Amino acid sequence: MRTLPLLLICVLLGVASGPHAEPVVVVNARSGIERLSQDEVINIFLGRYRKLPNGAQAIPIDQPETSALRAEFYRRLVNKELNEINAYWSRLIFSGKTSPPRSASSVSEVITLLGSHAGSIAYIERSQVDPRFRIVLEFQR
Amino acid sequence: MFMRRPNQIRVKVAARLLKWSWVGLVACVLSPLCGAANAANTADAPDADRISLQLHGFGTLGVTRADTGGAEYVRDLSQPAGAGKRWTAKVDSLLGVQANMLFSPQTEAVLQAVSRYHFDGSHDPELTWAFLHHDFSPDFSLRAGRLGTEFYMLGDSRLVGYSNLSLRPPPDFYGSLVFSYIDGLDVSTTFPMANGLLSGKLFAGRSPEKAPFGFGIDWDLSGSNMAGGYLDYLNGPWQIRFSHAQVRFKREIPIDDWLVLGGFTLPPYLSMVPDMAMARQAAHFSSIGLVFDQGPLNIQLMFNQIRHDSPAYEDSKAGYALAAYRFGELTPYLGISRSFSMEETLPSSPLPGIDALTAMMVSQSHIDQYTVTLGGRWDIRKNLAMKAQVDWINGKPSSLFLFKNPDPINWDGNMTVYSLALDFVF
Repeated sequence: MRTLPLLLICVLLGVASGPHAEPVVVVNARSGIERLSQDEVINIFLGRYRKLPNGAQAIPIDQPETSALRAEFYRRLVNKELNEINAYWSRLIFSGKTSPPRSASSVSEVITLLGSHAGSIAYIERSQVDPRFRIVLEFQR
Repeated sequence: MFMRRPNQIRVKVAARLLKWSWVGLVACVLSPLCGAANAANTADAPDADRISLQLHGFGTLGVTRADTGGAEYVRDLSQPAGAGKRWTAKVDSLLGVQANMLFSPQTEAVLQAVSRYHFDGSHDPELTWAFLHHDFSPDFSLRAGRLGTEFYMLGDSRLVGYSNLSLRPPPDFYGSLVFSYIDGLDVSTTFPMANGLLSGKLFAGRSPEKAPFGFGIDWDLSGSNMAGGYLDYLNGPWQIRFSHAQVRFKREIPIDDWLVLGGFTLPPYLSMVPDMAMARQAAHFSSIGLVFDQGPLNIQLMFNQIRHDSPAYEDSKAGYALAAYRFGELTPYLGISRSFSMEETLPSSPLPGIDALTAMMVSQSHIDQYTVTLGGRWDIRKNLAMKAQVDWINGKPSSLFLFKNPDPINWDGNMTVYSLALDFVF
C-alpha cells in the first residue's frame, strides 16, 4: 500500500523508472556501533535525538543536495520528498533549534567525513561500502 | 492632520536608519567570517574548529482580500488593521533574515530580524531572536538571550510560511497571541522512552513587545513576566504535546487614552472600576496539540484555553483540525477551526453609565465563530512554494475580538477571505 502514492507520484511527474539508487546507512567501522533501528536513524537525521547507543554524539552527513541518492534515502526513511524535508528544516532553523545534517559537496566528501569522525553516520550507495564502514541499517525494498 | 516640519521628518528618517543600522553593522562584522566559513567548508577538516557562519532568510509575498467591509481581517492581533474588500499585501507579507554563528558543534549564536506589518502600522524591523545556544550533551540544551516563545505547538514558526502547510496559522487558534519572543532563557531535554522520544522544555523571561490597543494606541507589554513549558511525546508518526504558559502583565492597558479617542470625557476609568486593571494580573495559556505525520498525509489537531485573572478580557477556548495530503508537488488541505469566549461577571460601579461602558469594553474581546479553510500548496521548486486559500468565517455579530475596526452597523460576523502567497526560504 505504501508504494502506491509513490507510484502515483512517478506517474504524475512523468519520472522515468530507471534503476533506483540503493542507499544503505553506514557508520565508521571503528565506532563500535553494530546496528541502528529505523527510528534511531530517523531521530538522528531529523535532528530529534542525536545520541548513539554508545552515548557518543551522532554526526549525520547528507549527500549533495542534487543527489538522487539523497531523495531516495528520505523516501525510504520517512516516505517524504526533499521539498518536505526542506520545509521541515526551515521550521527548525528559523525557530533557532537543531541544525540539519552537514551537506557534503560530493560523494567523495561523504566518504572522507565518515572516516574522520567516530560518531559520523551517512547513507551511501551499497556498491560503495568497503571495510572502513559498517552497514547499520538496510531498507526493505 | 498637521504638517510635519522638515526637521521632524529628518529625525524620523534618522531614527529609521538607526533602526536598520545594526543589521548593516552585523553584516559588516560578519562578512569576513563568512569568507572564512566558506573556506572551512571546502577544506578537508570536517569539524567546525573555526567559527563558521551561515546566513539564511525566509519570507512571504502575499495578498489578501475579504468579501465584506464590515470588519478587517488580520493574521493576529499584533496587526492594527487588516484586509477589507480591496486586495492588500500587509496581512501576510514579511521578510526575515537570520545569522547562525557556530563556535563549536555544541555552541552557536543566532540573530534574526523580521520586517512585517505590526503593532504601530509600520514595517520597522524587529530583532526577533538574539541568543546563545549550548548543548551540554546531546539530550540537554540551554538558550539565553532573546528567544521565540512556544505558547502552543508550532507557535515559534508562525512567521515562516514555507515551513507551514496552510497559508497562515489558523487565526481562530493563534490569532489572539501577540507574544512572539522574550528576553530570557530556556532549557530543553530529550530522552528515549518506550520506542519514542519524550522531550520537555521550560522557559522564563520578560516581554520586550508592544501590541496595538485600538485608535492607534499601543499597549506596552514590556517588562511583563512570562514563563511556561511543554511536555512532548513523539512515537513514529504520532506527536502529542501539552503546553502551559503564563504572562503577568507589567503595565496597565491604556484605557483612558482609548476612551478619550472614543469620545468619552471621564475621570480616570480605573479609579472608578479598579477591578478592571490588567497590570499585575496574569493570563494563563494551556494547550494540547496532536500531529499525525506519515508519508504524504499530515493531520493536526489542537485545543487551547486562555484564562485571564482580570475581567477586562473574556476567557476563551479554541481548537482546529487541519488535514493535508500530498500528490507530487501539490498538497491540498482542508481545515476547520472554532473559537469562542465566555462572558465574564463584570465589576459594577455606583456611578451612572459606567457599567454600560465596562460591558462595552469587555465585549470587544468577545469571540464566537468557526472557520472552514480550503487551500493548496504548490512546491514550485526547491525552497519556493505558492499557496492559495479561501476561509469561510461564520460568526455571531458579537464576535469582534479577532478582527480590527469592526463597523457596528455592517458587521454580521460572517466573512469570506481570499488569499494568495508565495513563500520562500534562502
